[in-house]
Amino acid sequence: MQAIDHHAWTNRWRDWHPLEKLLPALTLLVLTLALPLLSIGPLVLAATVLATVRGAGVPLQTVLSVLAAPAAFLLAGIPFLAISLSFTAGFSLHFSPDGLLLALETSVRALAAASCLTFLILTTPLTDLVPLLRRVGIPAGIVELILLIYRLIFVFTERALTGRQAQAARLGYSGIQRGVRSAGWLAGALFQRALEQARRLEIGLAARGYCGELRVLTPERPLSWPRLTIVMAFVILIGVMGGLLAGGWR
Amino acid sequence: MTAPPLAVRGLEYTYPGGIAALRDLDLTVERGRKLVILGPNGSGKTTLLLHLNGTFRPTRGEVLLDGCPAGYDRHALNQWRRRVGLVLQEPDDQLFAATVGQDVSFGPLNLGLTALETRERVGEALAALRIADLADRATHTLSFGQKKRVAIAGILAMRPEILVLDEPTAGLDPHGVVHLLNALQRLHDAGTTLVFSTHDVELAYAWADQAAIFQDGTVLRQGETTAVLADRELLQRARLRPPLLLELTQLLPGPLLRSREAVLAQLQERLRVNQ
Repeated sequence: MQAIDHHAWTNRWRDWHPLEKLLPALTLLVLTLALPLLSIGPLVLAATVLATVRGAGVPLQTVLSVLAAPAAFLLAGIPFLAISLSFTAGFSLHFSPDGLLLALETSVRALAAASCLTFLILTTPLTDLVPLLRRVGIPAGIVELILLIYRLIFVFTERALTGRQAQAARLGYSGIQRGVRSAGWLAGALFQRALEQARRLEIGLAARGYCGELRVLTPERPLSWPRLTIVMAFVILIGVMGGLLAGGWR
Repeated sequence: MTAPPLAVRGLEYTYPGGIAALRDLDLTVERGRKLVILGPNGSGKTTLLLHLNGTFRPTRGEVLLDGCPAGYDRHALNQWRRRVGLVLQEPDDQLFAATVGQDVSFGPLNLGLTALETRERVGEALAALRIADLADRATHTLSFGQKKRVAIAGILAMRPEILVLDEPTAGLDPHGVVHLLNALQRLHDAGTTLVFSTHDVELAYAWADQAAIFQDGTVLRQGETTAVLADRELLQRARLRPPLLLELTQLLPGPLLRSREAVLAQLQERLRVNQ
C-alpha cells in the first residue's frame, strides 16, 4: 500500500487533472466488462500497463506486484470452471473445454478490469479523486470522513509497525500462541491510542477554529481538453480494434 | 499602563477524576515579548498552555484577555483563538489533511476568508517558515521536523497576535532547532508575541526575554530571563540546572552575555591575555 501511494504521488502524470485519468480508466473498464469480445481484454491490459509504465513512469515491477493479487485469485479459480463435477451417474469428474474457455475469458476480462483500476490508483492520489466525489454530489460529511481516514491510516500503520517491532524486540512473537496474544494486546493498545488521538486531534483542530466542518482549499488543476481528447481517442481506438480483431477471429 | 493582552490569575485546574494539575497560578504575557515557560516534563506545562486558548476552562481563577475575563461561549472562543494561536507538541495531533497546502488552508477558511485570501495566507505562512516547496506534498511523507513546521504554518496562516508553542524544539535535530528558531525570530520581528514551553534551560537563556519557572502545577517566579535564571535556589527547587552559558559568562568580567559566540570570543580573549 505504501508503494502504491508513493507512486500515486510521484509519477509523471501526477499533475494531470484527475478527470483526464479517471475518464479513460472508467471507459476502458466499462468496455472490458460490457463488450462480449475475448479480444478486448488483452488489448486493455496491454494498453493500461503500457500507459502506467511507459507513460506515467511507474516501474513495471510495481504494476505487476499490484496485479499479482487479483491474478493469483483468478488462477485459483480456473480449475473450478474448467473441471466439472457430475453426480448423475454415481460420481464423476471431467474436464470440459467449454469450461476452460469460459475460465480463460473470465480471467482475462477480470485481470483487464483490474489493470484499469491499477492504472488509476498508481497515477492518481486519493486526494485528487475525492474532490470529484464531492462534485458528483456525495455529502460533504462522507468526503471528509474518507480524507480523514486516509490521513489516519498512515499515522496508525506507523504506530502499529513500531509497536510490533517493540514487541518483537521483547520476543513477543516467538511462538504462535505468544504471537497471537501479542497481536491482541497491540490491537487493544492501538484502539485506545486511536481514541486518545481523536481527542487530541479535536483540541488541535479547535485551536484553528474548527466548528464541525473540515473545509480545505483544493488546488485547482486546469483540465487540458486537448490531452483529454487525445487520451479518449486512444480509448475509442482500443474499443474499435477489439471489435475488429474479434470479427477476424470468428 | 495598558492591560497585558493575555494573563492568568489564580488559576486552578483539576482534571475530571480529581487529579489537581494546576494551582494558584499567575502568568502575564506582555505584548511583543518572547516568554518561555520553563519546567520539568510532566509538571503541567501543557495543561497550562491549553488554558491559554480556552481549550480547558479553569476550575478556579480566570484567564484575562486585555484585562477582561475571557468568555467561553462559541463566539468568544472563536475571537479568542483568532488572537491566540496554539501549536501542539505532536504535529500529528494537528495535521489532518492529506496535503500540506490543504492543511494550512483550514484555519484561514474557518476565519471566513475567501478562497483567494486563503491562498494568499497559505503562501505567506509557508514562506515565513521557508517551506513553500512542500505545498503540494502529502502530509504523511514529511519528516518530523517538516511536520512540525507545517503545524506552525497552519496556525500562522490565521495571523495570531500571540503564538503559543508547546515544546517547539522537542524531537528536532540541532539543525532543525536553528531553522525553527530563525523562523520564530522573523515572526517576532514582525510583531508577533511568542510564548513557548520547554525544559531546555540553554534555549531559554539564549532566546527568551522573559522566563516563568514552572514546577508542580504553578509558576514559582516570572521575570526577566537573566534575573530568573541566575536564581540558583529557585532553579534547584524546580529541578532545573542553571544554563552553562550563564555560568560561564558569570565567571567573566563585564555584562552578562547571551550568545554562545560572544561568550566563546570573550573566553578566547582572556586565554590569550593569560598566556
